[in-house]
Amino acid sequence: MNSVGLPHFLIVGAALFALGMVTVVTRRNAVGILMGVELILNAANVNFIAFNHYVDAPGRLTGQVFSIFVIVLAAAEAAVGLAIVLAIFQTFRTIDVQETDLLRE
Amino acid sequence: MTFNANDLLGVLPAIILSIGALLLLMSEVFLSTTRAAAQAPASPGERVAQTATAPEISSTQPDRRYQAWLAAGVAALGLWAALSQLGDPAISLFNGAAMSDGFGRVVAATVCGALLISCFVAFGYLEWLRATRGEFYALTLFSAAGMCLLAQATDLIVIFVSLEVMSLALYALCAYLRRGKRPAEAAFKYFILGSFASAIFLYGAALGFGATGSTRLADIAAGVRLAATGGGPGGSAGLLFASVALLTAGFAFKVAAVPFHMWVPDVYDGAPAPVTGFMAAGVKAAAFAVLVRILVSGFGDPSSSIGPHGWQQIIVWLAALTMFFGNLLAVPQRSVKRMLAYSSIAHAGYLLVAVAAMGNAPSRPDATQGLLFYLASYGATVIGAFGVVALIERKFALAGTGDDLSSWAGLSERHPALAAAMSLFMLSLAGVPPTAGFMAKLTVFRSAIEAGLAPLAIFGVLTSVAGLYYYLRVVVYVYMVPEGRADSVPGGRVLSASIALASCALIVLWMGIMPGSFSAMIQSASGSFGR
Amino acid sequence: MEAVLFYIFAIGVVVAGAQVVLRRNPIYGAVSLVACFFFLAGIYVLLSAHLIAILQVMVYAGAVMVLFVFVIMLLNLKEEELGEMHVTTMKGIGLAAVLVLVGFIAWKALTPVQFARDMAVNEQIHGFGGVKAVGNVLYRSSVLPFEVTSLLLLVAVVSAVVIAKGKI
Repeated sequence: MNSVGLPHFLIVGAALFALGMVTVVTRRNAVGILMGVELILNAANVNFIAFNHYVDAPGRLTGQVFSIFVIVLAAAEAAVGLAIVLAIFQTFRTIDVQETDLLRE
Repeated sequence: MTFNANDLLGVLPAIILSIGALLLLMSEVFLSTTRAAAQAPASPGERVAQTATAPEISSTQPDRRYQAWLAAGVAALGLWAALSQLGDPAISLFNGAAMSDGFGRVVAATVCGALLISCFVAFGYLEWLRATRGEFYALTLFSAAGMCLLAQATDLIVIFVSLEVMSLALYALCAYLRRGKRPAEAAFKYFILGSFASAIFLYGAALGFGATGSTRLADIAAGVRLAATGGGPGGSAGLLFASVALLTAGFAFKVAAVPFHMWVPDVYDGAPAPVTGFMAAGVKAAAFAVLVRILVSGFGDPSSSIGPHGWQQIIVWLAALTMFFGNLLAVPQRSVKRMLAYSSIAHAGYLLVAVAAMGNAPSRPDATQGLLFYLASYGATVIGAFGVVALIERKFALAGTGDDLSSWAGLSERHPALAAAMSLFMLSLAGVPPTAGFMAKLTVFRSAIEAGLAPLAIFGVLTSVAGLYYYLRVVVYVYMVPEGRADSVPGGRVLSASIALASCALIVLWMGIMPGSFSAMIQSASGSFGR
Repeated sequence: MEAVLFYIFAIGVVVAGAQVVLRRNPIYGAVSLVACFFFLAGIYVLLSAHLIAILQVMVYAGAVMVLFVFVIMLLNLKEEELGEMHVTTMKGIGLAAVLVLVGFIAWKALTPVQFARDMAVNEQIHGFGGVKAVGNVLYRSSVLPFEVTSLLLLVAVVSAVVIAKGKI
């Protein structure tokens, strides 16, 4: 375990964050965008848990508890987000974000 | 490690609002009896015919009029709770997870006041469209509870969770009235960019936690001080800088500062007008309260390079960009609702000026005062303006289209009182004396000059002069352009809206003519960040 | 041994995450996301966050992703409705800025970090990261966010019902 330390975990987090960003920006599919947001939330979780292990005082669990709240939020957000996607599909018959762009003049 | 009942007393406004929302939701259960009797849904053709004419309250729906009054009563109770604690000393709640101080109480009072007036605006609007449901008022109450908690939170976990309570309820409110395609689209855009912003905020919170080992703002402040003296864990200064940048970016989305403003016009345009007014007033108040708490309580140590002198520069640039582009983009708008959306971006810029002025410790009390004054005056004005829009919009909301300047032409002949109210709100948004908007801008710019940000203040004055153009254009249409189309505001159910508009107008005039009495009221808040 | 496990999990996370970006079909994306979450659970175990690892598998990979797959199936998209990757200039600039920022953060993290405390400290604490330890923190020092979370879940339920209800 000596060779693996905090930076390694942070790099995994940063990579997930970047992948999530790329997904959110390049996807035209509404469900795909939601998945990108999930990736970013998980990137934050990796950071929280890694920092909790390495930085927080021994035996403290603030970071892990924060990540539980993040998981709860992700579930709540997925429910609302997918309901909105369904509503979009009902109105526009597509979930392509380029074609749901009425309000832009 | 245990908590006592006094902690609950500190978050009383949020508790009152949540209980009210639960009561509303539960009351729906006992309503559905009358609906079953007259089932027989209208065929699509009939429904279109019904909605094309002014719809009457049909017998198929139970009477839900009590809901608006219940919600308004709860909001009034929350307002009373926030105001009654106003003079009390600041106390830390739940082991430092939240704080009950003057600043939080004034913001909570602003939110509850905005909710109270919005209930009156929404009542007539929803009844006329036959769209009253318990969920509407319950969700507004829930989101207001989230806003009150946000204003009091001093822990990143609490900030995050209550931010989401507020946001999720607002996403649903945007899509509440499903007439035409625009509400669904507005909710979708708001949701995507809002959840993206929360995710960015979260990543910033993770980095801040990593640099200091805590999510409490007080501990983060200690970590910032430590990093400034070169102590603390190595490399933590860089992490803290990235953290404050990401946290600010996350909230820049919520307050609609310029590089992060793309969602605002579409969302404000697509959401029902009463919701838009509440959103403009409430979200701004809550999000600015948190932004100030994070920046000043968390990263406010003046000795540190990542402290005020680091973020003050970011905020100054954000403010300048926001004021410039907000006013510029508002000029070509034909729809009053969209114009008000861009104007809300511009006002976020003026509020950011006050935040920037808090970077210097000596000017903090005045800047806090200015920020709170601005939030309250903007709230009253914008809810009033959207209240008028809600009256004009009713007919368009049925068809699912937007309003246009031409539908405002000749309003003064048909409804002189409405025209006068709209003009007052426009003048207040533009910052013309003797309205609240003028005094608000004055206090904010004064505190900016005091903080040594004179160029920013001058730039702000210049942009607000430019803003006069598009605000006055509405007044010109209302008073001077002859009536193009013989549309009159759909009659019926305007009494509650008139009460709301009259109270907004009174607040705007009162804050404009006697700013001292309001300032005295929020005096206890100005010391919240004083050091 | 643990280093080997870490690299397996880390590469799994990144490869599966990349699939989410690259696959056009959302079903493939969702399945790769599930895989990604499983590998992440492995990483959490390495960080002695046992409860979180379980929750990650049960709540995230289980409940949330089932919801995703369910909605994708419900929409039943045709091939032409899937949409292409789409990059405009503005988006490209934004993306580049973001990636630079991420690179900056990663670089900051890579510079000799002294705060990598000896990892064994937490592993010697009995029950660290278990249900009892996490529950103690959750119900005591985090009681306010815990209560607000109940509000959050209720709001999410009501919101989803309002949005899915259709025309009002």
